[in-house]
Amino acid sequence: MSASFRFEASGLALRAGASARGRLLFERLSLVVEPGQRWVVLGPNGAGKSSLLAALAGVFAPAQGQLMLQGRSLRDWRPEALADWRAWCPQFWVDPFPASVVETARLATRRGAWWNADPVDSTQLAQVLAELDLRALADADVRQLSGGERQRVAVATALLQGAPLLLLDEPASHLDLAHQQLLIGVLARHAGEGGAVVASLHDINLAWDLGDHAVLINGRGDVVAGTRDEVMTPQRLSAAFDVAVDQVAVCGQTRFWVGPLRKDLP
Amino acid sequence: MNTAGWRHVAVLLALAVAACALGLAAGSSGWGFAMPEIVWQIRLPRVLAGFGVGAALALSGALMQLLTRNALADPYVLGVSGGAAVGALSAMLLGAIGVAGWWSEWGIAAGAALGALGATLLLLALSWRVLAGAGSGAQQEAPVSLLLIGVMIGAACSALVTLMLTLAPEAQLRGMVFWLLGDLNGVTHWSAVWIALMVALAATWPWAHQLDWLARGDAWAATLGVPVQRRRRQVLVAAALATGGAVATGGAIGFVGLVAPHALRLLGLRAAPWLLPASALAGGSFVVLADAAARTLVAPLQLPVGVIAAAVGVPSFLALLMRGPGRGSR
Repeated sequence: MSASFRFEASGLALRAGASARGRLLFERLSLVVEPGQRWVVLGPNGAGKSSLLAALAGVFAPAQGQLMLQGRSLRDWRPEALADWRAWCPQFWVDPFPASVVETARLATRRGAWWNADPVDSTQLAQVLAELDLRALADADVRQLSGGERQRVAVATALLQGAPLLLLDEPASHLDLAHQQLLIGVLARHAGEGGAVVASLHDINLAWDLGDHAVLINGRGDVVAGTRDEVMTPQRLSAAFDVAVDQVAVCGQTRFWVGPLRKDLP
Repeated sequence: MNTAGWRHVAVLLALAVAACALGLAAGSSGWGFAMPEIVWQIRLPRVLAGFGVGAALALSGALMQLLTRNALADPYVLGVSGGAAVGALSAMLLGAIGVAGWWSEWGIAAGAALGALGATLLLLALSWRVLAGAGSGAQQEAPVSLLLIGVMIGAACSALVTLMLTLAPEAQLRGMVFWLLGDLNGVTHWSAVWIALMVALAATWPWAHQLDWLARGDAWAATLGVPVQRRRRQVLVAAALATGGAVATGGAIGFVGLVAPHALRLLGLRAAPWLLPASALAGGSFVVLADAAARTLVAPLQLPVGVIAAAVGVPSFLALLMRGPGRGSR
């Protein structure tokens, strides 16, 4: 993994569609991402999770605020150089042509001139495919995969880009229970080796297991960021999602119990 | 790069050489190498022109497919060849009313290139919203709307062509009509299409791997360092130039741009750095072979090569459309 890095957002405000007339998604978000950290982004539908991840990636213009990598504004970076530091995995992928899982996974490995024959690191490729349980599918056409299988390929593509900072938009969507745990393990390994992860998730228990830091956007213009234990309190989660939430201990582990809509409570 | 890719390219090169040899040997005056004059002054220019036309159309098709994320894109289907025909016929009409000279052939080529560019720009302007929606989940109708827009542009162009044919002087009508059918008969100039082909290849091939990223989504490509808008414009102009050169030389030969990349993808040549040159080789061979068939099937009569190309292209297009891009379970 590459050298140490520091990614900082300060006073960030986002508007829907990145346009000045768009609805205000949230304002005054500040956070610092450093090696080893695993951030989860939580919030109801349309709150601005995907927009936040795209903004952190530099492809969604914030209405206000600064984004700095290594103390330099994202806008001052050469785009090619930025690709060595952060990989963005969008929520939706387009597969217009036939392509195998392997071809898709290593799409972003070689970013210089294509005739520079630096061979794809085959051990790393094999490792990532194995970690994400994609080995048996290596030669399958990505357009024939199930939603969860395609999602794992997308994570593999992002991992193989070789950037320390991973910005993943709903990496756990469509994944079954076993593959959710697999994903958490892979991302924890990535962070443990000096990388960092920022991922949006819907399952708060999964988010608790994955994250050590959290951003909670409530969909009404408020956002809070900090360590997992500060942000992921039953009160805050309940207020943001409008459902009853309680924290319980099951087999010595913290779990969230999610109840009915708050307006239905007696 | 990978050995399978090299093997495919070697096979395609052999195919191209074989197709050209066959094209030189076949003719309405019988098989085999006829009189040297026939071979060198009639057949060789025709084979070179045919190869250039096919290569340019196939390259243009591959580029448009990557640009529009649509395996059905083809200069003919999307109305770009129609735009080139309008441009070329306008140049011919201008030539007919006296603005002629040694440059008239280049005038027709320039007219065709401008017409192709105009049609491509119109196509992209009209389908911009559809293309920009990629990666936002609103993807389902994109291929169909793009095709419909292209078909409408093609319809508008053919109306303009009809208008121009009506206005054209009697003496030129037959030549114009045959040219429109997609005809290599009597072609002696092959340099314009080869220049267009080489410029288009030089303007796109070095950035081919970025086209693979662009096909997966503009925003994602941008995070990998692709200057998205500039690259799109570059590919657009290159595709229009190649189509213009091809249409100016051989008329509106359809479906080459569809068939060649499709066949290559089935063979496993999918990465754009391979697909672009391989499409050119395959498309050139296809048109040379189709032209050899057109010259010999009902000799001494010569069929327009566009008829043969359509006989192969239309079933391929329909097969692609029926199977659809999303057979998967998503």
